[in-house]
Amino acid sequence: MAAERSGDHVSWYRQAGMLCAMPVTIFFIVGFVGPLLMVLAYSFMPPRSFSLFQAPTLANYKAIIADSYYISFLWSFGLACVTVILLFAICYPIAYGMTKLFGRWANLITALIAVPLLISENIRLFGWVLVLVKQGVIDGGLQALFGVELSGMLYTVPAILLGLVYVYLPFMLFPLVIGLSMVPDSLKEAAFDLGANRWQVFREVELPLAMPGILIGGILTFVLALGSLAEAKILGGKAIIMIVDDIENAFTFGQNWPRGSALSVLLIVLSGLIVLFLFRRIDLDRIIGRR
Amino acid sequence: MFDRLSRRNFLQQTGIWAAAAAAGSLPRLAHAAREKELNIFCWEGYNSDEVLDPFRREFDATVRAEGLISDPDAINRLRAGEDNVWDLLNVNNPWAREILYPEKLIKPIPRDRFEPYFEKMLPQFHPPYHWAMDDGGTELLGMVQRFGPFSFVVNTDKISREMAEDQGFKLFLDPAMKDRYGVLTYDNWNIYHMCITADIDPFVKHTPEQIAAVGETARQIFNGAKLLTDDLAQMNLALINGEIDAYFTGGTYTASPARFDGATNVRGITPKSGPINGKGGIVWIEVTSVVNNPQVSPLAEEFLSYINRPEVSKAVAFAEGTYNPVTQMGNPEVMALFDEDELDAIQWDTLEEEMERSVDYDINPDYAEMYSLYAAAKRAREG
Repeated sequence: MAAERSGDHVSWYRQAGMLCAMPVTIFFIVGFVGPLLMVLAYSFMPPRSFSLFQAPTLANYKAIIADSYYISFLWSFGLACVTVILLFAICYPIAYGMTKLFGRWANLITALIAVPLLISENIRLFGWVLVLVKQGVIDGGLQALFGVELSGMLYTVPAILLGLVYVYLPFMLFPLVIGLSMVPDSLKEAAFDLGANRWQVFREVELPLAMPGILIGGILTFVLALGSLAEAKILGGKAIIMIVDDIENAFTFGQNWPRGSALSVLLIVLSGLIVLFLFRRIDLDRIIGRR
Repeated sequence: MFDRLSRRNFLQQTGIWAAAAAAGSLPRLAHAAREKELNIFCWEGYNSDEVLDPFRREFDATVRAEGLISDPDAINRLRAGEDNVWDLLNVNNPWAREILYPEKLIKPIPRDRFEPYFEKMLPQFHPPYHWAMDDGGTELLGMVQRFGPFSFVVNTDKISREMAEDQGFKLFLDPAMKDRYGVLTYDNWNIYHMCITADIDPFVKHTPEQIAAVGETARQIFNGAKLLTDDLAQMNLALINGEIDAYFTGGTYTASPARFDGATNVRGITPKSGPINGKGGIVWIEVTSVVNNPQVSPLAEEFLSYINRPEVSKAVAFAEGTYNPVTQMGNPEVMALFDEDELDAIQWDTLEEEMERSVDYDINPDYAEMYSLYAAAKRAREG
């Protein structure tokens, strides 16, 4: 051991931290990275085969590009983008209120928003079905009270958006609250004193300082919405087909693991690129308050 | 102890942990006998406590059951190595004979022990029953119990049974039906039914023209549909609430929960005629087989006997989820256990007639090609 203590330089694999981290690292590689590598490997296997020991081929990727999968990708990415924008517009005022105005009430609001998270997403979405369905809470209520009959509200793209916004609201709201709580009031006051108007303060002071929270909320909700399935199924009646639905069906009914794998790889790569691009702009250390 | 961690005591630590972990898994390494445990992979119903609890008590066994959601998915999981996990697999009729046995994923059961059960079943299941036998006709591959006709479902307040049976699947191509029906996305069934809609027998080899015709039919069916879902409860709710008047792909299996709940206007329909030797309906029959597990539980065969008892047959027919006729209803002792409402829920009054108009579920040789067109039609749906 003397050798280890004498030199300032202990080779990396002998450092205590490294050694302590090793079991978890190995577990992580086997349990998390391993399956991803399997999926990657399968995506280069011949279509409809069930073995990893064949000559690799690009057939699955070619088939996906030649086929109409772009429709599902576009719908998934499009809905994810719209969801993020809507959530930002809805959550920003609430987060602002919770950090700056509501005082004691903020905790109550936090609890009200967090409690439904304890209930299964499918059950909550089915609750919306009962609200929106023909003869349901809205339609039946309006008929009984005013004799008005509405056309169907379910099984449409807006119904899917409603579901996405409803389910992923907390994932945008709480990072925004953290982001906005990082904006010191004194800075805003100083900006006003120096003659800035409301809009300038928002744009030049608030937004840049709260940006880490906004980006984290945006990334979280974007990735979750991109991989969502239940909203399109339960509220949308599959009015559109999400890419995850295509992946699931390729693995099950389609009996085509390689195609499902190739679709998964494409989805992971595309969303990964977007997330990486955004993460380069976040300074995690600053959020945690180390600087 | 960790503040002055050196490589040596780190290795000691990991050695201790590794030894502990290995000791924990020793029973598995030692090929523990599995007299007291049974793992069942099945369609919902066999996994209900009503069916399993008496067995657990009688055999003092730990029985685990997992519900499956699609035959192909279950076959996939067995291929992926879960044949070491399960003792019994319950899937629809063609898989055992045409896929599972040839691929050595299941093993035969003794004929002398199990054939007498077939003798007590409804006449069409008497031994040797086609789907329970291997291709050579010598090996018995499993036990049959639940079955049912499966075509489509209507709300008889809106569309009469007579009219639906006469029109068959053409009903869904009628422009007046646009946005008045749903598609229950059991993809493999949808493709069979789209073949029938296009006047094509799903169970033979097809020409490229026929495959293209099925793709075109898929496009028409999806574009006219108001909703797609793979959840039968959601579909029945839409039917009862008047969102839709019919749904494409469904039968006794999907209509029965609503019917048993009092909504007897929800009814499974079998077309009067169609392209499969004049028939237009399809009937599924579940086959429960013993998995070719290297350490298969001896309780697997016991369970196959157990499900033939009258009270257990009844419990399987009316387990939670869906209600279905069982082949054991050929036995008067089993029939005596059903009351009028239960028989009405499973459309017993027309079952025989519907069975006569149906052919057995089988494998579609061009499924893969049709599936690509089907999936593309679903994606490009004019929602």
